[in-house]
Amino acid sequence: MKTVELIELLSNEAGPAPKVSMARRLLPAGLFGGLIAATLVLAVLGLIPQTMFAEPGPWIKIAYASALAFAAAWLVASLGKPGASGRKAFLAVQGVVGVMALAGFISYLGTPEPERVTALMGHSWLVCPWAILSLSLPVMAGAFWAMRGLAPTNLVLAGAACGVFAGAVAALAYALACTEPAAPFIAIWYTLGIALSGALGAFLGPKFLQW
Amino acid sequence: MTLPNEFTPTTLHDDFELTLRPLWIRGQHGDAKAYRDALATIAQRLRRFYARRLQALPDEVEDLVQETLLALHLQRGTYDETLPVSSWVFAIARHKLVDLWRRRGRRDNLNDSLDELTEDQHPFAPEELPSKRDLSVLLEQLPEAQKQAILLTRIEGLSMMEASDRSGVSVAALKVQVHRGLKQLAALVREES
Repeated sequence: MKTVELIELLSNEAGPAPKVSMARRLLPAGLFGGLIAATLVLAVLGLIPQTMFAEPGPWIKIAYASALAFAAAWLVASLGKPGASGRKAFLAVQGVVGVMALAGFISYLGTPEPERVTALMGHSWLVCPWAILSLSLPVMAGAFWAMRGLAPTNLVLAGAACGVFAGAVAALAYALACTEPAAPFIAIWYTLGIALSGALGAFLGPKFLQW
Repeated sequence: MTLPNEFTPTTLHDDFELTLRPLWIRGQHGDAKAYRDALATIAQRLRRFYARRLQALPDEVEDLVQETLLALHLQRGTYDETLPVSSWVFAIARHKLVDLWRRRGRRDNLNDSLDELTEDQHPFAPEELPSKRDLSVLLEQLPEAQKQAILLTRIEGLSMMEASDRSGVSVAALKVQVHRGLKQLAALVREES
């Protein structure tokens, strides 16, 4: 077939371009994956005591994870559009992490000397990042499915964005069971868990997002 | 960390963008004739783009042009009207080029960054080159329903309504079959090369 014939074939009765809505794919992917992660967390670890919701701890986690999930969703949507710059969305992701890091640092400085190690390491620093990474897997599957509906041209970055989104949603789910109250702990170990998920996404991107 | 796909002022303002944009936008809204002209303009530009970058593999140029046109068509919903059409086209063209190199295990050429402008002066006839791969052969391998839908509406040139009357398949179902068929065709193209 000659190229002119192919062009005829493609344009004949082509109609208007289909509307591609990232939100329509990423939202159900995030909700469904997040639901699986939350169910797992509640089944295995159980909900934190009700009284903890009167403290800032869980709310910091929820605010941080939600903000990061939205910023990462924006990044996923930008990286799925060829020729679009992901710069603003990338800055938004950096901004959210930066604010959390700053909050953690200030809180650390305000913590009395003898309690600082606890504020930093808590009792579950070895568990937290790995729990978030594991919980991110169902969300990552959904995010990759959503990305496959778009046209990513940088598969490593596209995979990483899916991974950060998945990690943020997973962190949101993990917050339901995590009893660590300190901001420095959240700033370090939650972020590390989400970063691990992002790294896994970057690794898997070229394998699963090719088109 | 730097993000790619940043469009440069040169691609923003060059003739290609100026010629293409009005055609492309009309095509996006359903003007089939404008869409055809847009694809023809793109094909010519891609031929130059690839010829320049595949000097060691001149036989691959036309095949890659066809593969990219198919990809552009399938992904046209991802074009964002606030961005230059040319950045969208070149992002996909580069992606397809990298994919070709990756499949051929030639990673050394990945960072080839030749100035877009010099290409316009590149002494290369924009006429169609012979293609090695024949898409009509691949078309034969599609499932019957998809093949029929493509043949009726795209090759015989019937309107969706006429094709629906002829085949007894609803217009909506025909559209789905055409889209699936073209997607399958693109997958076959990648498998083959």
